[in-house]
Amino acid sequence: MSTQQNKTLISVVDLNHSYKEHAVLKHINFTIAEGEIFGFLGHNGAGKTTTINILTTLLQPTSGEVKIFGHSVIDHTFQVRRHIGYVPETVQLYDNMSARENLEFFAKLSGVKNVRRAVAETLEFLGSEDLADRRLGTFSKGMRQRIGLAQAIVHKPKILFLDEPTSGLDPEGVQMLRSIILRLNSDLGMTIFMNTHLLSEVTKTCTSIGILKDGELIYQDSLARTLKAFPDQASLEDIYLKIEAKASW
Amino acid sequence: MNQFLATIKHELLCAKRERLPQVLLAIFLAMVALSCFIGWATNHTVTDVYNEAVKQGITTAQNPFTGVSPLFYARNTVIYIVLIGALLAIVLGVRSALRDRKAHVTDLLLSRPMHTPLYLGAKLTGLSIWLLGVLLISAVINWLSISAIIGHPLALPDVLRLFAFYGEAWLFLLPFAALGLLSGLYNRSETNALLIPIVIWSLLTFVIPQLGTAEHPVSLLNPVPAQIVSHGFFFQVNQTVFGPLSLTEHFKHASGIILQDSQVSGSILMNQLIIMLFVLASVTLLLSTRRARMRGELYE
Repeated sequence: MSTQQNKTLISVVDLNHSYKEHAVLKHINFTIAEGEIFGFLGHNGAGKTTTINILTTLLQPTSGEVKIFGHSVIDHTFQVRRHIGYVPETVQLYDNMSARENLEFFAKLSGVKNVRRAVAETLEFLGSEDLADRRLGTFSKGMRQRIGLAQAIVHKPKILFLDEPTSGLDPEGVQMLRSIILRLNSDLGMTIFMNTHLLSEVTKTCTSIGILKDGELIYQDSLARTLKAFPDQASLEDIYLKIEAKASW
Repeated sequence: MNQFLATIKHELLCAKRERLPQVLLAIFLAMVALSCFIGWATNHTVTDVYNEAVKQGITTAQNPFTGVSPLFYARNTVIYIVLIGALLAIVLGVRSALRDRKAHVTDLLLSRPMHTPLYLGAKLTGLSIWLLGVLLISAVINWLSISAIIGHPLALPDVLRLFAFYGEAWLFLLPFAALGLLSGLYNRSETNALLIPIVIWSLLTFVIPQLGTAEHPVSLLNPVPAQIVSHGFFFQVNQTVFGPLSLTEHFKHASGIILQDSQVSGSILMNQLIIMLFVLASVTLLLSTRRARMRGELYE
């Protein structure tokens, strides 16, 4: 796991987002440095997916400034999209196409030059060469998740966004995904932004965390400092509950 | 350009692997092959009756099929294109748009460095190439079966006319493919996505021509364009208002002229213009679809 703190890759300043009258994100500020694995925590409906949608240029924020690699997600969407990969919570892809066909399609859309090589390397990295020529319709949830991850890294992005990546996976699948995330960070140097509510995953994977509550970012720090700051708490779960309770006051 | 070509290739691959368009395609090609046989059977029956009438001295008139173009045998294809071809184009379009939504890949597509109109344009281009392929196969089937019926190869001018007719058919089907795509993008349920373009198709095919041009409802199912009612203020106003919207009637008229149908006369220019306007309008509507619209949830 990389602990090197380099230049800022993601910077969010006074981000607000509303659906009609309902404010979903309120004055969010945070930065994420190169090489981090950032765990974005919060209960369901806290605004995690909305944040990831804004960071991946899928949604325009109501107000605020969001920059990825120094490029605004509003004004320079193409520059941002060239640097990012995204795995949504539900990964389906095209059932009547093979894993290779799916990956080749997404690689071409990402502007990859040597598509065949990129797909072969990605499948090899994920240890999924055996799945290459099978149709997606025959895949288990875990296999789909791997190919979903493959489509997000086939163009070798600098930042990978994962929305609840372990959702619905069996323990074996969770372990496999965790090891891939760590290798993506250590071997390929990818910065990872991960939405999750599984604190056990955060402890084993992340280098820093942010906690979102009802659209407000109530905490952000490195995982090591967080654990040190709450020496009396037995687990990250206890720390999380304590921070949340403190924010409610 | 790479993204455009990749999307076209992807579209063709998906269309090739989906069952419903395959079934519709098989029906369409079978009907095209059958249309020549129907034309031949009609000719044969009428000629037999005519010969019998001549033998009995009942008539001295000319056989109604004397001097008729061999392309007469393809005239039923016109109505199959209006009925089955248009439905095939709609189904292809709807399924193409729904495929992305059902596979939950819209966000993956939109997080790529690619313009939305380019993607949608490539999808429509893919579908139009698929339709062109279908129509080319149909043209070859017609060509071979007409040659077999008349006992010698079709003359070059007739071959050119046959392919020109299929070119016209391709243009006619494009707005339906675009309509299917639009419906697949805009509707929140799969049922409505398929139902709404079919309702629009039936309005264009049966209701609007009835209001504007058709004297008899049954004429709408004939390959020959409906006769325009020339008397009465009401019908004339209707004709003025709804005439340009009767897309299928314009296609039937243009096809009749291209296939040298003796019952059809006049200029093809207005028909051509109206078909092109439909193509232009539907493509413009499709390409102006907003990104946010593509991310709409599908509830079925």
